Amino acid sequence: MKFGSKTYSATGFYDELVDSEGNARPHARRLVDYFSDMAPGELVDRQHAVDSTIVDMGISFTIYSEGDNIDRAWPLDIIPRAMPGAEWDRVEQGLKQRLIALNLFIDDLYNERRILKDKVVPADLIDSSKNYLAPCRGAKPRHGVWAHICGSDLVRDRDGTIYVLEDNLRVPSGVSYMLENRNVIKRVFPSIFRNHRVRPVSEYPSALNLMLRSIAPENAGDKPEVVVLTPGVYNSAYFEHTYLARTMGVELVEGNDLLVDDDVVYMRTIDGLKRVDTIYRRIDDTFIDPEAFRPDSMLGIPGIMRAWRAGNVALANAPGSGVADDKVIYSYVPDIIRYYMGEDEIIPNVPTWRCSDPKHLDHVLANIADLVVKPANESGGYGMLVGPHATKAEHEKFRELLKADPRNYIAQPTLSLSTAPTLCGDMLEPRHLDLRPFILQGSQISVTAGGLTRVAMVKGSLVVNSSQGGGSKDTWIIEDAD
Amino acid sequence: MLSRAAERIYWVGRYLERAENNARIVQQYSQLLLDLPSEVGVGWHELVEIFGVDRAFDASDQERAILEFLLSDADSSSSLLYCIKMARDNIRNSRDLLPQESWENVNELFQYARHRLARATDGESRFDVLSDCIGRCQQLNGIFNGTMSHTSPYHFLTLGQSLERADMMSRIIDVAAAYLQQNERLVLRYGSTLWTNVLKSVSGFQMYRQYCQPQVEGFAVIGFLLHDRQFPRAMRACVENAKRTATELPNCKPLIQSLDRVAETVPSPLPEDLGGAAVSEYMDALQKRLGDAHVVVVDSWFLPAA
Repeated sequence: MKFGSKTYSATGFYDELVDSEGNARPHARRLVDYFSDMAPGELVDRQHAVDSTIVDMGISFTIYSEGDNIDRAWPLDIIPRAMPGAEWDRVEQGLKQRLIALNLFIDDLYNERRILKDKVVPADLIDSSKNYLAPCRGAKPRHGVWAHICGSDLVRDRDGTIYVLEDNLRVPSGVSYMLENRNVIKRVFPSIFRNHRVRPVSEYPSALNLMLRSIAPENAGDKPEVVVLTPGVYNSAYFEHTYLARTMGVELVEGNDLLVDDDVVYMRTIDGLKRVDTIYRRIDDTFIDPEAFRPDSMLGIPGIMRAWRAGNVALANAPGSGVADDKVIYSYVPDIIRYYMGEDEIIPNVPTWRCSDPKHLDHVLANIADLVVKPANESGGYGMLVGPHATKAEHEKFRELLKADPRNYIAQPTLSLSTAPTLCGDMLEPRHLDLRPFILQGSQISVTAGGLTRVAMVKGSLVVNSSQGGGSKDTWIIEDAD
Repeated sequence: MLSRAAERIYWVGRYLERAENNARIVQQYSQLLLDLPSEVGVGWHELVEIFGVDRAFDASDQERAILEFLLSDADSSSSLLYCIKMARDNIRNSRDLLPQESWENVNELFQYARHRLARATDGESRFDVLSDCIGRCQQLNGIFNGTMSHTSPYHFLTLGQSLERADMMSRIIDVAAAYLQQNERLVLRYGSTLWTNVLKSVSGFQMYRQYCQPQVEGFAVIGFLLHDRQFPRAMRACVENAKRTATELPNCKPLIQSLDRVAETVPSPLPEDLGGAAVSEYMDALQKRLGDAHVVVVDSWFLPAA
């Protein structure tokens, strides 16, 4: 297959737009045609148009370097990543199933603990988890929902199967970039949208707002006060915090804007104190209340946990939700779905060895060079070993770590992430990618059409994080042709 | 509106105004020194007094040391660079409430100041660099005035600007009066040069001549700068502006009362026998009452308690 004058081939991997014969996949045919007709120079010109639109719109992310914060323009590749509507419908069902089950699980853990009594999940696994927060026991958030906003990372393997790689139930980020990617592509390529039926993503801020209202305390009345709580301007996701507050039309607050009086949360305004009903908190749960958790937290609001437990304020996500995105718990999600819902999981898990199980541990120690080893509680790729890319000394180091603290590790086979054509210099080349959809659950449940596609811009690399040179793509769920 | 957001925007108003005043004063002072023979003994140190700083500077290269302190020293809270940086930080943290162009503009201003102010301590490019800084501050005010709805954020910006402007005016008059009081010979020969300079340092020379009187003399200049209702940098106009703004905000009574006390500090018209010492006392009282007004602003809107 050709893009402009150059041949594009993605041999050895599953490509999202092109099949193994080098032909456009049916759902992507018009999209591929559109870009194939462009001269290489035009592709580069369009990329420049995308880049300058991003600068003009002020879409940035923050990285830390030598103690300074630097705002960088958000990297967006011009070629959208497309998926067929029918395939997405199934993924969407699977994501809903998963979050409903996880919320039943979290609510159970902090209340009756039935699943532990029935020995489907070992109790010591929960009691030894640092994300199981004792101050949350006995709490009853509305609708029984704890994790209201979930960002699940999906990957596609060589044979085309889509897996859930992890569930982010604490403070998942990236949704603002999903929204802005679409806005930019619409500005730069208005004409391609005429030939495609792409599912819109723009209703996310109002869906989020409605969800946050639906979880407000019942005595809040019909116009509950919703706020977004940010750690402040120096946080790497500050752009997103302001973006969400602005697009929802609610206040963006910091810890010292709030205070608790008689178990009710108020914000300080020029009109005096104003009651707050729902807080979309973008700070980690152990920082949220120095009275209940870390006494050294400067970001938190003393007493807010009391107000939450008294049912006077809703926190999204509820503190303690992180217990279910522990990577060891992840390996039990298919069992959790079966236990609460009596169904099989719709989207499979990546096969996972739990090092806490001696048999699994033996397997991992013997095959460490072929596996990816992850600590249970870290995110963002910290403390991880990618077996095939590591040295013998690193393998040995991890064997020791696993033996010393098996509970804290899991291992998975190295997946061959799917690729999509990506503009590199003036050439289109295959680059690996993943996908983070966002799922909202309050009184109802909804999923974004697609999500944020992240791309590893370095050839052969699997690292998609923007702080480490990753890029992104607009994600299209294309309605099937009539 | 959140108290914290109001506070930040109030400080945008103050720091932006302080930056512009600082640039004007240093620029005019540099011009003044060119007009005065060295034996009258007016030097760079008098400039530092305007900023309320009591500090010794290296005598061998005093001009350079003082100008660094007032212009380019990022650690000196009296410097132009510091004011611009603080205005920028507060605008950065208020981007959701202020026009997008204001963030881009203050960023450019900051980059310009950071690179060019160090050179403005030398005589050669000082005039141009300071003119540019003043122009860019005016551009920012133009953006605010031209594109912001007259709602709470705009009111807090105006409040900060008015109080800062009034405060700086009292300092300028104070220093000029004190100097004239000590040096009779200077008054006789160079009095009008000095007062012309004072007027120019607040961009008031033209308006004074058009609407007050053609000849420049101290008593009339002080009257103009304190009591004129039309000239926007005059004390009276600043206080009236702050009062009008306050009435747009909730719970404004305490500030209005406080501003009334500021307004009645100096009798209008000025006493016929007004001397330098009396001016100095009036100015001290003015600064104190303006400080009280600031505290009232903080208590009324920035620190609501349970």
